[in-house]
Amino acid sequence: MSQHILFDDIDEPGLATLQVYERRGGYSSLRRALQMSREEVLQNLLDSGLRGRGGAGFAMGRKASFLPKGTMDKYLVCNADESEPGTFKDRELMQKSPHMLIEGMVIAAYAADANRSFIYIRGEYELQADILEAAIAQAREAGYLGERILGSELSLSLVLHRGAGAYICGEETGLLDSLEGKRGNPRLKPPFPANQGLYQGPTLINNVETLATVPHIIRMGGENYAKIGTESSTGTKLVSVSGNVQSPGNFEITLGTPAREIIYDLAGGPFPGREIRFWFPGGSSSPVLLPEDLDLAYDFNTLAQAGSMLGSGAIIVVDDSVPVIDVALKLAKFYKHESCGKCTPCREGTNWTVKMLERLETGEATPMDLDIIASVQQQIMGNCLCVLGDAMAMPLGSMVARFRGEFEQHIEEARFRAGLGAPPEPSEVEIAGVGN
Amino acid sequence: MSDVARFGHGSRIPGWDDAVDLTKAPAGVPDPATTPVPPELRSEIEAAMAKYPDFRSAAIPALHAAQKLHGWCSPEALEQVACVMRLTPGYLTAVATFYDMFYMEPVGRHRIFVCTNISCSLRGADAVHDAIVDAAAGDPDFNIRSFECLGACDIAPMASIDGEYVGPLELADAERIVEDLRAGRPVLEEKNIRRRRSVDPGARRSATRDEDARA
Amino acid sequence: MPRPEVKFVTFSIDGREVEAPEGAMLVDGAKYGDVEIPVFCYEPKLGEPVGACRMCLVEIEGIPRLQTACSTPVRDGMVVHTQTERVKEAQNSVVEFLLVNHPLDCPVCDKGGECPLQDITFGWGRGISRMVEPKRHFKKPLELSPLIAIDRERCILCYRCVRFSQEVSEDYQLVLHERGANSFVGTFDGHPYVAPFSGNIVELCPVGALTSRAYRFRARPWDIEGAGSVCTLCPAQCNVEFTVRDERVLRVLARENAGVDDGWLCDKGRFAYQSIHSEERIVQPLVREGDELRAVSWERALEAAAGALAKAKGKVGAIVGGQTTNEEGFLLQRIMREALDSPHIDARATGAAVPLELQRALAAPGLQATVPDLEFAHTVLVLGTDPIDDAPILDLRIRRGVRRHGVKLAVATSRPSALDPNAKLWLRYAPGAEQAFVAALDAALSGADGFDALAEAADADPKALLALAAMLTADSGSADDGAGGAHGGEDVVIVWGERLGVAALPALLNVAARLGLDGRPGAGLLELPAGTNGRGLREAGVQPNAGPGLAEPTQADGKSAREIAAAAAAGELTTLYLLHSDPLREHADRRLWERALERASTVITHASVMTDAIREHATVVFPAESYAEKEGTVVHPDGRLQRLRPAIGRPGMVRSEWQLLTDIAQRIGHDLGVLTGPMATQQLVAAVPFYAGLTLEEIGGRGVRWQEREAAAAAPAAPAGPFDAGTPAPAPMPNGALRLGTFRSIWASTEVEISPALRFLAARQQLEISPADAERLGLVTGDRVEVGADGTRVSATVTLRGNVPAGTIFLGEATAESSATELLGDQPRLVEVRPA
Ligand SMILES: Cc1cc2nc3c(=O)[nH]c(=O)nc-3n(C[C@H](O)[C@H](O)[C@H](O)COP(=O)(O)O)c2cc1C
Ligand code: SF4
Ligand code: FES
Repeated sequence: MSQHILFDDIDEPGLATLQVYERRGGYSSLRRALQMSREEVLQNLLDSGLRGRGGAGFAMGRKASFLPKGTMDKYLVCNADESEPGTFKDRELMQKSPHMLIEGMVIAAYAADANRSFIYIRGEYELQADILEAAIAQAREAGYLGERILGSELSLSLVLHRGAGAYICGEETGLLDSLEGKRGNPRLKPPFPANQGLYQGPTLINNVETLATVPHIIRMGGENYAKIGTESSTGTKLVSVSGNVQSPGNFEITLGTPAREIIYDLAGGPFPGREIRFWFPGGSSSPVLLPEDLDLAYDFNTLAQAGSMLGSGAIIVVDDSVPVIDVALKLAKFYKHESCGKCTPCREGTNWTVKMLERLETGEATPMDLDIIASVQQQIMGNCLCVLGDAMAMPLGSMVARFRGEFEQHIEEARFRAGLGAPPEPSEVEIAGVGN
Repeated sequence: MSDVARFGHGSRIPGWDDAVDLTKAPAGVPDPATTPVPPELRSEIEAAMAKYPDFRSAAIPALHAAQKLHGWCSPEALEQVACVMRLTPGYLTAVATFYDMFYMEPVGRHRIFVCTNISCSLRGADAVHDAIVDAAAGDPDFNIRSFECLGACDIAPMASIDGEYVGPLELADAERIVEDLRAGRPVLEEKNIRRRRSVDPGARRSATRDEDARA
Repeated sequence: MPRPEVKFVTFSIDGREVEAPEGAMLVDGAKYGDVEIPVFCYEPKLGEPVGACRMCLVEIEGIPRLQTACSTPVRDGMVVHTQTERVKEAQNSVVEFLLVNHPLDCPVCDKGGECPLQDITFGWGRGISRMVEPKRHFKKPLELSPLIAIDRERCILCYRCVRFSQEVSEDYQLVLHERGANSFVGTFDGHPYVAPFSGNIVELCPVGALTSRAYRFRARPWDIEGAGSVCTLCPAQCNVEFTVRDERVLRVLARENAGVDDGWLCDKGRFAYQSIHSEERIVQPLVREGDELRAVSWERALEAAAGALAKAKGKVGAIVGGQTTNEEGFLLQRIMREALDSPHIDARATGAAVPLELQRALAAPGLQATVPDLEFAHTVLVLGTDPIDDAPILDLRIRRGVRRHGVKLAVATSRPSALDPNAKLWLRYAPGAEQAFVAALDAALSGADGFDALAEAADADPKALLALAAMLTADSGSADDGAGGAHGGEDVVIVWGERLGVAALPALLNVAARLGLDGRPGAGLLELPAGTNGRGLREAGVQPNAGPGLAEPTQADGKSAREIAAAAAAGELTTLYLLHSDPLREHADRRLWERALERASTVITHASVMTDAIREHATVVFPAESYAEKEGTVVHPDGRLQRLRPAIGRPGMVRSEWQLLTDIAQRIGHDLGVLTGPMATQQLVAAVPFYAGLTLEEIGGRGVRWQEREAAAAAPAAPAGPFDAGTPAPAPMPNGALRLGTFRSIWASTEVEISPALRFLAARQQLEISPADAERLGLVTGDRVEVGADGTRVSATVTLRGNVPAGTIFLGEATAESSATELLGDQPRLVEVRPA
């Protein structure tokens, strides 16, 4: 048994306006939530098993329950930075159903006892920001935001904040610094945002899709929502499919659906005559999977067991017309460009990796360099301030490991093209000093 | 010095080779008595500052506003923002240079950001980028950049043109884009993401509903 | 505010049980077990750890990921490993990453040999580099300021320098540009990084990226020695370490002393050491022959001085400069009182003597706030001083209290203060209306009648005054203490400047009483004297109305500085003794002093460089020691006795000045009984009851606050208040003219002018004027003007400042030329401004 939840009405004309949204039952979940106690609302979120849709997959209800009690200012921040390559689901949600997000935020703020809220939207989403701004104004006008919402005890301000182009501002603490008007450098954790986040106050941060799901949980009841999907990955998920497929787009699936169905049935599969070479299951930060992994169930746990992750729910499909090294280099360059530069392993590791990969291209490398590349990825992983470094090291490490043969062949061809004589035999020589 | 081989390799980063100008005064918080700020800009920044518990949060909105007015984050623009916000222009330089959408040099007034990240480049974005660069033929009115993922891989390869998302682009669109911009027309109207249903309605199904349909 | 209590906990590191203070970061806690964890970005002086460099990763049992020891507090029972394979691999990796782009130009790097990057690479690095790609190479060194050079190649982006600029000095000038591997340290649009504390970044940088232009290539670490002493260039008396090579001071480093300086130095303290080796240094005795000063033997100079003094018995006046040690001042006052029958000795550049009962009340040990109190008080009021000019390092301490401990700051001054932006409340009064202002504050606290009239007399905003009173008495719970005051039960520290003037002191004492500051730990008054050792000199008896130890003088009161000038100008005093003082530059009413020096038949001076006053008026000039050559003690504004130790030999014929003074006494026929420097200290200690028993050993390298010793009980009893605040004169009404306010810039000093590195900062006369007055007078920034009163005028360059109150202008004192003291008499002045 399953429902179509977030995208049920998504193509309804005019859904972005308050009138149509209300006509489709909008804001009734908010009314219902305000009839309940904060604790009940929070319990529904806990019962729903909803896991964050932004990348880390942390249980939303639990995160909301971490905020300390007390009368200090508490904050709710919606992460609408959506910069993970391959991800574009939040864009469609915000553009077409901004009130769903706003309603979700008001309910979430009620559950977390927050009194100020912000949407941090990436600066490039100008259209979506304009739409949201209009929707916020309408919602305020209608009494869904502001003082004593719908006559209840709840008061909530909501400010839309436009970013200015930096992937790292999707990382929750980088986002907070950016929202505070600083460079978007991630912060050391602990303290976690739930204790000391925005302006040092307790802060709940969630992704757009996570928050947009909240009204539906209230509508259906947390326990009913939990019946959808698998036990550890409840509910439905928006999946952005892109790359070498015939019909790229956003699709709402029930968690646990086989990846093959998503890629082939929903996104049309690879172009005729092409085969899938590998695919990123959860955005460019997830370790790549192979065609034989296509029958894995698309849910948090199964993908983690397979050595990758569901991440932001963005599948990028790469077919056999594309050299692996091209994708590797694009990837590394992206992370190098987006590294904030605060911590050493990420700043220097991404920089060095790009230099090495470029050398593979120009024929100035030997297969030995692949060992250094792999080892540098190891050196980055787990040693950085935030996980941006890992976000390059994981997929890149997986590509070098899984396609070592192709990389070596590429090196030899490049050397040959560069006139650097006969390519050397691949050797097992240990690199001096490695592992010492 | 640039022709000396020693400086010819390695990464070149604008600013790295620059000494300060010792004849300038140190740049503290600009004194309102000597820093004229256009009134519209001042009120826009002050309105932004009022929205947040800490006025500093308005740094990015204020820089957006100043950039809109001046075309780029010129020293003058930064000084004006600094004056209204009671910050140093250095603080704002640190912020502005961190983000890709702020320009520290004058740029053409038409922004063309071509996404050349993985999903778009799998569909030919690099060639599209080059084609647009060729079509604009160095016209200083155009600010053409290859950009990281813009969050619209469903219309890959795509570009953000003066803030409007268009795609999927073909090589042939390059000329049109340049012409539309020069003529002041909406660019590639039929490919604008506003008009486009991102996905054709037939495909808009949940996987399970699909099963239902089959059943 | 209660300071954090330290509790010890036990944790295990590398298999050993170690006790460390709870909450200390692991890197510090590890030191209790002799374990060193390498760090680059960690520097507790800079505030919260940032965890950026990742050098300090360690393994903690129960936590899967390696943790940064710089940001993980020690907890009871924690089990930490720093020697495992995983940790080593992480350390090797971080070093390798840091060196990926580092040029390894150690042989030509100033930091070589004292470089944390070298040391850590040696200790924790892999020992090889696997990067074969070209490194970045760029032009270097580049100027970052006239004082600092930057080698961007060498930078490891540890953030220390920019954190200093942003979180310690808060000048926000030095910032990181760009992002990721492109990041670099720089300033806005090529402006130089010039700020009062900029030099600290050189000391902070863990590599050779930031170097002192004055020190570059002057020495290698094995050529130099360090010598600890105290900087005497301002009352803050920061602890320093002189870097000495071949009897020359080549560099000054901070010598952290939490009770004094926090480990920072201002740029004057850091770079003005160059004045020690200036060409302009006077290195032999001079005696006037006709119009000229001639170099002579010690014998001749001593004869000339002693002869003149002996002849002028009863008619000698002595002015003592702020950099004089306690011992020198003490010996000179003995000579004046015991041998010359001339108790006319003063060290106060403000001119007027302070009645002894007020002095004693102000010096009551229980009323003294300490430097650390500034950081932990509930409320700090800065009154009539701008620490950035008067004792720069305290500016940093106050900022730190506000930033880190939530201290509420109020600033009450006539001139806009550098601390205004940090203050919860700032307010202005008219220059010259200090007495009225403090009396108005007292009235606001007591609710007495006459508040409105006093506020008006001070030209201060009554609402702001009431808000200040409310802030000072803000109650954290405890009710009225019954003493009729509004004592709110919170720790208040009032930092006030000697420049506040004598008339304001009774009211100040009343305010302190109302706030219940006496005897309250963590609260009190902290006076910033105008001269470096102002406090010590008073305690040593260098004032006309008190002997050593603030004792009743044995003779009738002598004349104060201003009275000395007047008497000399009138011919009543014939001989002037200027011990490290140039009254033309430092004292108010320059014209009176010119007449005095003109008229005096003999002017004896100790000086290290030639000034106008000396060139024109001195009869005998004794070469003075520099502060790096001196032996003796000084007293910090909070009562801490500190020791000066000779770091280098004296140049030329310079002799120690305590000895010189005893020689002069000898020749006048008075044996002071001092044969060594320490004997002078002993005499001083014996003469000041509340110093009793102090030894140089006890003072040591960190100093001792006398209030914290038992002998403090011997401090003279403070008279009970309340004090009669008198009837303050109202601030003059401008009526078309302008009120003159003055200040003394940190950069207005001879040391700055003769240090080649600092010369560019030397204070030039600027007229600070409000936009409204500027518009009325048709002036814009940069215009040259003349400011005049009573026929005297000084020229200045106009600077518009938005926060200068209309109706008032400000000029600097003690500038090399056109000092505002030319316009200062003993009354507040109205002046006129005309285009030059
Ligand atoms: C480098 C990096 C980039 C990220 N970008 C995004 C993003 O664009 N949008 C998002 O929602 N979460 C992003 N995240 C995840 C957030 O840090 C955070 O986990 C998330 O916003 C929490 O919301 P959720 O629990 O609802 O998923 C990113 C994380 C990292 C490390
Ligand atoms: S210049 Fe020195 S102090 Fe500043 S970031 Fe670089 S290495 Fe650190
Ligand atoms: S010292 Fe701990 S991360 Fe730098």
